[in-house]
Amino acid sequence: MATYSLLVTANPYSSQGQLSAIQFAKTLLEQGHELMRVFFYADGVLVASRLHAPPADEINLTKAWAKLAIEKDIELIACVTAANKRGIVNVAEAERNALTGNNLDPAFEISGLGQLTEAMLNSDRLITFG
Amino acid sequence: MMNKSICIVFNKAPYGSQAGRELLDIALMAAAFDMPITALFVEQGVYQLLKGQEPDILDIKNHSATFKALPLYGIEDILVEEDALQKFNLNVQELVEIDGLKTISSSHAQSLLANSDFILTL
Repeated sequence: MATYSLLVTANPYSSQGQLSAIQFAKTLLEQGHELMRVFFYADGVLVASRLHAPPADEINLTKAWAKLAIEKDIELIACVTAANKRGIVNVAEAERNALTGNNLDPAFEISGLGQLTEAMLNSDRLITFG
Repeated sequence: MMNKSICIVFNKAPYGSQAGRELLDIALMAAAFDMPITALFVEQGVYQLLKGQEPDILDIKNHSATFKALPLYGIEDILVEEDALQKFNLNVQELVEIDGLKTISSSHAQSLLANSDFILTL
């Protein structure tokens, strides 16, 4: 059994990367592996917005990640620099940048790139979904 | 705990995508954790290192000078694929001057990838 972390850079809804990452995460947990952390970087951070409203008969990727995180106690971390520039902000970042609102889904956390390095230090494998 | 090695692979030309800059940020952060890091430039990624870039005329920040700082951050293995330079008719003199930059064969690059604990590319 191995410890995994995922690096997700795929733009949600534009490409299959996020969906593949969710399916990969579910499968590795089913097979008894550990998933330490999912780190969202580049366009991947866009999925951390709680304001996505896809059509009712399509998957809501944010909710799919959130369900996995809550049920399996997995850290979902979005890079602060990548997120801020793409309009994904939590309460603290909204205040710090004098923005009128915030949109980070509560299942996600905003943090720095150090969390990606730390994930590598503490995982056997890091799989990128771009 | 044994330090795990990371190979960061730059394989895209700059500015058309932000991959180069975002990988560079990962490299600089990972360097702070004292992990052995190799920066490998392959395919169109060799254009990341070309001297005299002026992306400011496109309103894009120039990150090419930051590559020169890699050795200061403790990243000393900076390797450029020879075949890629040849393919794009470039030579080492046309690249930004980085202490310790070396060119390597494609087969050397392949064995490097095979022996790295983590391979990162965007």
